[in-house]
Amino acid sequence: MADFLSAYSIQTWLESCPQGYLEGTRFGHLPGEKEPEPLLANDILREESIRTTVQLVVGERCALAASSGLINAAPDEASKRFLATQTLDEARHVEIFSQRLVDPGVRKEKMEDVIRQYANRNLVKFAEVLLEKVDKKDFIAGVVGQNIVLEGMAFSVFEMMHALNQQLNPKFAHTLSGTIADERRHVGFGENRIGSLIKEYPERRPEIERMQKEMSYYMLATFADAFRNNPARDEFRRLESALVENGGSAQWQGVELATMEPEEMETVLATTVLSEFKTRLGRIGIEYQSPARP
Amino acid sequence: MTAARKGAAAVEVHDLEPDQFLEEVHSFEFWFEAVDGYLGGLTYGHAPAAYLPAVAEPDRSRLITALCNYCVGETAALEGASGLVAIAPNRLSKIFLATQAVDEARHVEVFLHRLKELGVKDPEAEVNRQASPGLLQFKRRLLELVAGKDWEAAIFAQNVILEALEYTVFQSHARDADPITREVLQGVIKDERRHIGFGENELGRRLKQSPHIRARIGEVKRELDRVLLDAVEDTMRLVGTSADERHQVVRSYLDAVGRLGFA
Repeated sequence: MADFLSAYSIQTWLESCPQGYLEGTRFGHLPGEKEPEPLLANDILREESIRTTVQLVVGERCALAASSGLINAAPDEASKRFLATQTLDEARHVEIFSQRLVDPGVRKEKMEDVIRQYANRNLVKFAEVLLEKVDKKDFIAGVVGQNIVLEGMAFSVFEMMHALNQQLNPKFAHTLSGTIADERRHVGFGENRIGSLIKEYPERRPEIERMQKEMSYYMLATFADAFRNNPARDEFRRLESALVENGGSAQWQGVELATMEPEEMETVLATTVLSEFKTRLGRIGIEYQSPARP
Repeated sequence: MTAARKGAAAVEVHDLEPDQFLEEVHSFEFWFEAVDGYLGGLTYGHAPAAYLPAVAEPDRSRLITALCNYCVGETAALEGASGLVAIAPNRLSKIFLATQAVDEARHVEVFLHRLKELGVKDPEAEVNRQASPGLLQFKRRLLELVAGKDWEAAIFAQNVILEALEYTVFQSHARDADPITREVLQGVIKDERRHIGFGENELGRRLKQSPHIRARIGEVKRELDRVLLDAVEDTMRLVGTSADERHQVVRSYLDAVGRLGFA
């Protein structure tokens, strides 16, 4: 265990993150990059961008509360130190996504109101299930919920958004690429650290499996809310058609997102995340539980 | 560090309006620029060295005792700062405390690494063996304040009492330390200065808005000062610090806390 944890030291983190892929960035993107004009000038797209970003802030605030809360529950020093780096990563994500609310014109003093207005209720419930475990200082359930379920979801969502925005919104794509690199590290820690603890405490499995099933349901419900009946559907279709007409592309998981209907994108995302859960949970000795479909 | 931003136009933070000042200095971006300046190119807090100069006995044993107790203090600070993220009243304080949590974790790591460099085979076991009971008592009390969601008292205990004392002790130690330990301590001191600044600013504003808090903080100070000062005196005696120097450290600490208005 000690050897694998040395790969998650502060020293490694400093070299790979602040002195590595974040070097020269400002709020996660290149200095001077701006949100594209067509997005800022179109009220429907602008509101949809705010709504989407609010979900990112809500998710990252949950991750910040969970990772900081788990430090005091961690059974060893090296895990505490890794979780401190994760805490700061999550705080950075809160900061850069909050800044992405300011960029299209949300005033700082109104930010909490905007977050309350747009926060998806299913995502809030998803966070509550996890934070209940953290409040109880339940390290094993907390790390599975945070580093496998929440981070696994975030990883795929960010990757999909990155693919969609790489050509349409390079500023946002750059912001996402740093967070994807962070999430990859977090998921890796979860898998590596928890496997041995699950072996040590096999009686914890049923409760953790229940938590995964519940969190997965709320995640799918959040996806359903985001993709079905999306008010910006026509605007997105117009932008994506223009992208394809100009020879652009948004490939992810072997499909062309730019030519897909939102419901098809929802299916690709949900299938990808659930399949990742199954693989990762299997590696740590947890049996994946299929959630109800919203 | 008063100016930030390499990637954009430099910002002179002291020229900013109070709200903008807080937005700037409590941000990840500010932390990022600050540590990049003094940690860039270092490995475990010091410049990579092909040859590590040996520390002769009895200085080596004394240094090990000191580092073990620094680890206890820094672990208390790590657990305190991370617990405070949850009860911080706003986004900026949460983000600042997240940067502090990683600073404290780094301090634990560099001190444990230094113990290894000094030939300690199992640094964590050594820390447990040499931990001062007084420091452990302080840690328990600090974490009780955090668990009790007592924001002002916990920030005072953590970012004023503990940080100011660490700052004073590390500064005193750095003056006489071997070159490697000195470099490690100097990086830590720079972090502690930022943490004290946060505590001073946060409590200063709250005391202005709600002067009745002062009595509660005075109570916490009376309770914790003694515990921590006794623990530091014990540790300094163990590491062979002279009585004069011990008194000087205690005086410097009391002066520092006095400057913050909590004499």
